[in-house]
Amino acid sequence: MSPDGRNRPGKLIASSNLYTAILALSFCVVLATAVFVAYKCYLQYGTIFKIP
Amino acid sequence: MSTLTKILIVLLTLSSIFLCGIVVNYVANAENYKEKSGGLNRRLQIAVEKKKSADQQLSDKTKIYLQEEEKLKNEIASLTIQVKELQGNLTDIEREKALLLQKVSAMVSSVETSSQTAEQQRQLFVETFAKLNKADAELIKQKKILDETSTELLRKMAIIETLEIDKKRLLEKNTELQKGLNQLLLSRGEVIAEPAPVTRERGPARWLKPPAVKEIGLKGLITAIDLKNSMASISIGTADGVKMGMKFYVTRGNEFICELLIIDVDAEEAVGVLELVQQQPRAGDNVSTNL
Repeated sequence: MSPDGRNRPGKLIASSNLYTAILALSFCVVLATAVFVAYKCYLQYGTIFKIP
Repeated sequence: MSTLTKILIVLLTLSSIFLCGIVVNYVANAENYKEKSGGLNRRLQIAVEKKKSADQQLSDKTKIYLQEEEKLKNEIASLTIQVKELQGNLTDIEREKALLLQKVSAMVSSVETSSQTAEQQRQLFVETFAKLNKADAELIKQKKILDETSTELLRKMAIIETLEIDKKRLLEKNTELQKGLNQLLLSRGEVIAEPAPVTRERGPARWLKPPAVKEIGLKGLITAIDLKNSMASISIGTADGVKMGMKFYVTRGNEFICELLIIDVDAEEAVGVLELVQQQPRAGDNVSTNL
């Protein structure tokens, strides 16, 4: 964490470091999983949110 | 960023990755229940249709079965009636059989009596034949006696003839002696009185005149011929004077065909048996009682 980021009021600045990458990775994994599940659901049932 | 945050971030990332992996694994391996359901629905539909067709066939077969059952029941009823009728016929026939057996036994007894009667008749015939033989022998003896009597008669007749001749000669001699005696007595003036006969004179024997006969003179034609039975029918009957036992001669022109002995007479026709067949007679041949 950079003290500069915290000290500037009203502006959030994403610090590029390892944990951001890890978070981004987990986010991508979750997103990919959600997309995959949605795709599979649509493929198999023809609907994503409704009960077939 | 504090350590805890970092730790939480890492844990969160790991758990999310782990959970996403599990989810992906699960979703990837999950069965497509929609397809499965669709397949099962299709199979269900097919099964339902098959069931419908099977039910239809069942109902048809049930109808046919009921019809066949009705038919068979009717046939059973008719066959039962036939069986009863046949049983009735059987009892009738058994009764008839008993009657016929009685008749047969009666006939057997009558045959036995007939055979006994035939045996008696045969014995009677044998006795009669013996009597006949005896009568024949008697007849032969009588014939012999008759022949002897006839020869004796002829001899006596010959003797009578010679005696007649002698009588004639003696009568002539008597006449001559009478003449001589008359002459002698006439010379002395006496005559001899006529002798009176002792027995009545009879006339000579003569044959009785036979009764006069005339021809019957019936004539006709043959109307039908039955060569199988050797019979024929003619065109004249009782109205013309034909009688049973009459004999007719069948002729064709100047040829003699056969004789016809009448055995049955009707008013307008008669039937007879062919005898002495020289040629085959046919309808139209002449028949007459005299040749």
